[in-house]
Amino acid sequence: MQKIPLNLAQPGMVLEKPVLRDNGLVLVAEGTELSEPLISRLENMGVKNIIVQGEPLELEGMAGTTSYAQRIERLDHLFRKFKDDPWMNQVKAFLKAYYEQKAAEQIQPQKQND
Amino acid sequence: MMQDLRVERKGRLLAVKDLPTLPTVLDEVSKLVQDPASSTEQIAKVISKDQVLSAKVLKMVNSPIYGFPRRISTIQHALVLLGFNVIKGLIISTSVFDIMAKNMIGLWEHSLGCALACSSIAKIAGLKDPEEYSVAGLLHDLGKVVATVQLPELKEEIDVLLKEKELTYIEAEVEVMGFGHDRVNAWLSDHWHLPLRLREALAWHHRPKSAQHYPDMAAVVHIGDFLTRAFEVGSGGDDHISYLKPEALEILNLKLTDLEKVLDDLGQEFVELSDFRPED
Repeated sequence: MQKIPLNLAQPGMVLEKPVLRDNGLVLVAEGTELSEPLISRLENMGVKNIIVQGEPLELEGMAGTTSYAQRIERLDHLFRKFKDDPWMNQVKAFLKAYYEQKAAEQIQPQKQND
Repeated sequence: MMQDLRVERKGRLLAVKDLPTLPTVLDEVSKLVQDPASSTEQIAKVISKDQVLSAKVLKMVNSPIYGFPRRISTIQHALVLLGFNVIKGLIISTSVFDIMAKNMIGLWEHSLGCALACSSIAKIAGLKDPEEYSVAGLLHDLGKVVATVQLPELKEEIDVLLKEKELTYIEAEVEVMGFGHDRVNAWLSDHWHLPLRLREALAWHHRPKSAQHYPDMAAVVHIGDFLTRAFEVGSGGDDHISYLKPEALEILNLKLTDLEKVLDDLGQEFVELSDFRPED
């Protein structure tokens, strides 16, 4: 799943999480497919971000992504101070193995669209 | 480092002039809390007088950090559910948010991420009241914010040094100021009369073994900080992973593999939380 700014939303994307009002009321249920009119309605209601299925956009930064493949790529950079530290290398290997397993789970067959 | 320079800087850090002002209701509330005769209702009434503050606190209480199934709509209900220590921590965090929003929004997101991680770690370690751990995570880098506001010229030096020498933020702080944000946290905790459990977490999150009273608090925040950096949620001021001290895992009786459950929780939740703000 990916959190994206509403101005980058495209018809055909599917909501992974419901869109909520500030008081917690559900505006649009999860699983809803976005359409042009729905996107403009959300804009009018002041919704800034939505969470959609899959990883439809290439976004800068890591906060809004759940792509584990990207996380694996970042590991060497993050751990660069501890290259020679046996314990931290063990920690890094642990994270890498975990991310790899998660990345494999993310590669799912495309949904059938009838 | 010269002792008197350190004392002078500590004085400037705690100088009231620019220190984030805590809402006046907090003094009133603290007095009430010390009096065993006062009721939650009375305390809630005092906080609710400040409507802006109440709205911010309720927004935090209803954020994904806590994940309550139903909306909490009154301060009294929040007090009953979370206890005064947590509400006090939330009041402090919303008070410093304005400063973070101006020039350290990455640090706000890092703090939120850490809060989320801490509550998840506390649950997996089988600790009571995970909300207390999460509020400690939320406030763990308070010292960075206050140092930036009170000693702005040193903040510039810290940022230059970070890049030049590939240091972590705390290493650069020590080199420039003579102490890190963990010391600033300890001074602030005393200055604002924070509960001891919170003080321990804030002061010792880089050295959990040194926390004499509540090493569990410090250890949870230590691991929370590490995981938040691993996931690169927001920014703690540099892009290094923090050193995960084995002692933190030992204190909580956890193995590295136990963190998989925490990572499972966080993968989804970090995304939901990433642009949460106490105000709009």
